[in-house]
Amino acid sequence: MKKAKWSFMLLFVVLLLAACSSDTEETSAENDSEIEVEGRENELVVGVPGDPQNWDPIDTFLLDWSTVATSVFEGLVDRNLDLELQPGLAESWEYVDDQTLQFKLREGVTFHNGEPFNADAVKFTFDRLLGEEGAQGPQQANYTSIDNVEVVDEYTVNFNLNEKDPVLLTKLAGYGAVIVPPKYIEENGDEHFNTNPVGTGPFKMTSYEQDSKAVLEKNEDYWKDGVPKLNKVTFRFIPEASTRLAELQTGEIDVMKRVEISQVESLKDHPSLSIQEVGTPTVYSLRFNTEKEPFDDKRVRQAVNYAIDKDAIIEEILGGYGEKISTFQSELSFGNNPDLKPYPYDPEKAKQLLEEAGVAEGTEVDIYIPGNDGNFKEITQVVSYYLEEVGLKANIESVDSNTLISDLIPSGEAGHMYRQGWGGWTLDFDNTAYLMYHEGEHWNPSFYDEEVEELLEAERTTVDQEKREEIFMKLTERLHELAPEANLYSEVALYAVHDRVKNFQPPHEDRMRLEEVTVE
Amino acid sequence: MLQFIIRRLLHSILVLLAISVIIFFSIRLTGDPVTVMFAAGEPSPEAIESVRENLGLDEPLPVQYLVFLKNLATFDLGESFRTGLPVTEMVVDKMGATLLLAFGGVFVAMLIAFPVGILSAVKRGTAVDFFGRIFSLIGISFPNFWLGIMLILIFSVNLQWLPASGYDGIEYLILPSIALGMILSGILARLVRSSMLENLSQQYVSTARSKGLKEWVVIMRHTFRNALIPTITFLGIQFGSLLGGTVIIEQVFSWPGVGRMIIDAINQRDYPVIQGGVIMLAMIMVLVNLLVDISYSLIDPRIKAGGGSS
Amino acid sequence: MEPAVYEQEEQVQQTKPKKKFRPGLFLLKNASGMFGLLLVIVSVSCALFAPWIAPMDPTEAQLTSRLAPPSISGADTEHLLGADQIGRDLFSRIIYGARISLMVGFFGVLLAMVVGTILGLISGYVGKWMDDLIMRLADIQLAFPFILFAIIIMSVLGTGIWKIVIILGLTYWVGFARLIRGQVMSLKELEYIQAAKAVGGSHLRIIGKHIFPNVVSSILVLGTLFIAEFILLEASLTFLGLGVDPTIPSWGGMLSDSRNYISSAWWTATFPGIAIMITVLGFNLFGDWLRDKFDPNLDV
Repeated sequence: MKKAKWSFMLLFVVLLLAACSSDTEETSAENDSEIEVEGRENELVVGVPGDPQNWDPIDTFLLDWSTVATSVFEGLVDRNLDLELQPGLAESWEYVDDQTLQFKLREGVTFHNGEPFNADAVKFTFDRLLGEEGAQGPQQANYTSIDNVEVVDEYTVNFNLNEKDPVLLTKLAGYGAVIVPPKYIEENGDEHFNTNPVGTGPFKMTSYEQDSKAVLEKNEDYWKDGVPKLNKVTFRFIPEASTRLAELQTGEIDVMKRVEISQVESLKDHPSLSIQEVGTPTVYSLRFNTEKEPFDDKRVRQAVNYAIDKDAIIEEILGGYGEKISTFQSELSFGNNPDLKPYPYDPEKAKQLLEEAGVAEGTEVDIYIPGNDGNFKEITQVVSYYLEEVGLKANIESVDSNTLISDLIPSGEAGHMYRQGWGGWTLDFDNTAYLMYHEGEHWNPSFYDEEVEELLEAERTTVDQEKREEIFMKLTERLHELAPEANLYSEVALYAVHDRVKNFQPPHEDRMRLEEVTVE
Repeated sequence: MLQFIIRRLLHSILVLLAISVIIFFSIRLTGDPVTVMFAAGEPSPEAIESVRENLGLDEPLPVQYLVFLKNLATFDLGESFRTGLPVTEMVVDKMGATLLLAFGGVFVAMLIAFPVGILSAVKRGTAVDFFGRIFSLIGISFPNFWLGIMLILIFSVNLQWLPASGYDGIEYLILPSIALGMILSGILARLVRSSMLENLSQQYVSTARSKGLKEWVVIMRHTFRNALIPTITFLGIQFGSLLGGTVIIEQVFSWPGVGRMIIDAINQRDYPVIQGGVIMLAMIMVLVNLLVDISYSLIDPRIKAGGGSS
Repeated sequence: MEPAVYEQEEQVQQTKPKKKFRPGLFLLKNASGMFGLLLVIVSVSCALFAPWIAPMDPTEAQLTSRLAPPSISGADTEHLLGADQIGRDLFSRIIYGARISLMVGFFGVLLAMVVGTILGLISGYVGKWMDDLIMRLADIQLAFPFILFAIIIMSVLGTGIWKIVIILGLTYWVGFARLIRGQVMSLKELEYIQAAKAVGGSHLRIIGKHIFPNVVSSILVLGTLFIAEFILLEASLTFLGLGVDPTIPSWGGMLSDSRNYISSAWWTATFPGIAIMITVLGFNLFGDWLRDKFDPNLDV
């Protein structure tokens, strides 16, 4: 009897172990069979990580917003999938003088509610953006160089500027400058507009359930001929990456945004799914607090740059999905210096520099990282290993990401080094460099260099793009030398797409374009 | 009796007041919503000032609190910084999904706990009892996020029986309810077992047996019915904490509930939504506890008017 | 209210005092409790003797053995249970991970126990407005959703193992306080304690000598069950990105890191999952058994 009971117990434990491991093995076997999609003719379902919750373009800066809203709204200037500026709702534009920019508008365009698109709509949009309503949101600050918008005739507007703005056109392709319908907003109020957006884009939003999904339907009167091809697009908000993947594997979604590198393995060689990768302007570095010893010495900062094997990190942790960077911007950014090479991996050189700077073996370095970024956590762990190799002892502090961004970094209390991630949405080094290195900015609690200040000033006061490029080359060299951060990589975004989806091209900057997409 | 109820009501209001103070001031220590809002932009100090003014953040903290409290009295929880929508509306909307999930969890817990608990009690000390206990405890031996992911892998990806996530119908409720209910089922089975044991040893059970009633009739009609009372009470008490425990399940299964809303709001430092959500959750918990207390004292007058809940 | 079944058992034992202690029979009768104890002993030993059991350095990353499969499944690697996403030996990490989980469980419970016991004793013994105050504090704690509370606190204080211990301790004192308060209230009405009061025994002495020994068993039972819960809570906090320092091996961290590898590298999720299950199950079974033995009417 006693024997029987013990053997029972043993059997139970064995069964349990078997159950755990066999489940997972079966799963991977199952993953490799083809996925059937049912009942979604000419309809695309996209799984995205976040719900922006507010669709009003002037209230947002979230990438999650642009993924969906690019299909709903359009600006005067547009950026195609290769990031080139092209006419959007404006057919053409020219500088009348240094501070006046004139746009000729496209005729015969209507909003989803039937309202006509014209010069009044453009004026309304920018009055709203630059006025009281815009003051409540984060977008206004990007457009302060516009003094006012003047209606010339029904399809011509003038932008009167109060200062030269070399990146204005780029910014007009940005979130805050998409054109909104005047009558609709006046009649229904701003609050209604937050959850019931109306634009001129290829799709109109017909239903939105917060934290659940947004349904877009074809805009039959779209001004471009023959598009969009899909009848319906549904965006589902699924925050957990493993759940998103499960939905893809069960055929419930066709496109998955933000595939994590750790998930690539289980998608490779899949008969009906493929991974699409695309470079992004998003960059990551470990920024130094240049006022804290020993990082007030540029040799120590350079030493850390030499100590980290970026290639190994990109290869091993990012699965090859990342690009090395020489300064804090990606290859896509205007102002990137192609002649500048990232610091090579040279631990001997690092040791030597540390010795010169008089840094003792075993000096402790605090690294602050946001707790919600799993990938970066791994990277930091490897960095701490490399630092140990050259005699620095790293303590990793993982903190709430918003506390890090809104409190610790600006107050200079984020340790010796901290994660600095940057979206780089203007695709022009101006925005990044100014916010990162200009004295007194939110993002720059500690760094100051006179030459950098001068270059930044010079770059901002000319609209001559060639001259600006020249200045940026100087600036990047100086920054590379001073090493205010250890630059790690620029992100490569991963999308997983079901084979039934045709003509899908992953966007560099999260702004998904679906006009040409079809499904089988 | 009336005095007891009034007293408990006053206590509850006091508790809610204290919670409102704690939540109001503690979230204001976590960082500035305006900086988070402008995280990617390039705002001028004037722009920041004007946003602050618009959101009412320029007033001194105690004044902000009093305004919050005044509005709370009329169930006006303010407007979300992020969406501009009335928070009361948002919370009520999301609370439905959370309550549904919590009820689903309780249902699953009962479905597992009753048979296991009854069998363990009836077959006390045998292998059935032993494995029953282990079975009911295994549910609470895994972190719930892991359990959730495993359930999705097995039942959605592998077997393709149930949808993995979403909020579109009854079949979407099943997996998250299981993940939530498993946690509760272990404790519940334990309770069912012990109250069954207590009742099985009572005089009337022996009487019923001696009358020649079939064993399972005795068990179901007499013992189980009596064992049900403490079980339901327990569920009442636990229901409140179950509401707070749905956060992770909501995250894993993309369930549009209050927990997920509050987590999102914490990330955005959307003060009104955090405050409103937490206060509403607390209110439900306090209310449920109050009801349990009152019904307890009605059933069992021995519980004295100053005593707390169980 | 003690169930008669137990009484009968005890009577049987009492009427045959000379009966020899038979370990086999004892084990059989207490199978679930002993099984639980066995599991607890296994994980506690792992924690205590980690440096001797673990074959490798749990923090050393070897990029070459990134996601190496486990050798027990027949793979040709030097990693018994495989390696994780940056090439650290999973077996060694699990062994060391026991330390973190048990530390969080043990010290968290200790803190909750101390705070709860003191407040519970005061509340029950002094009564009146003190009782009211403490019980209202308890109500506040109970009405505050724990995870959200933890997120808010950790946003202010930052993350780390001791902060988790403090948060858990300061949230879960309520269970102990209510338990002890109830027992003290019924105990202090008993004749011998009334008598001790009457002869002028000091309060501290009465608490220490007469009341405390009577509630110790309940406290221990509750403590054992809470350890299990705390281990799981640590994992959940880590899932939300609020866990311990990522370089420190912890089961919660390993599990939440592994969620995306589940289908490509099953061992990264399976073995830490089993480790946590064994430990938690052990504490639960053992705690349950303790309760049956010493305190069958305890509600948790």
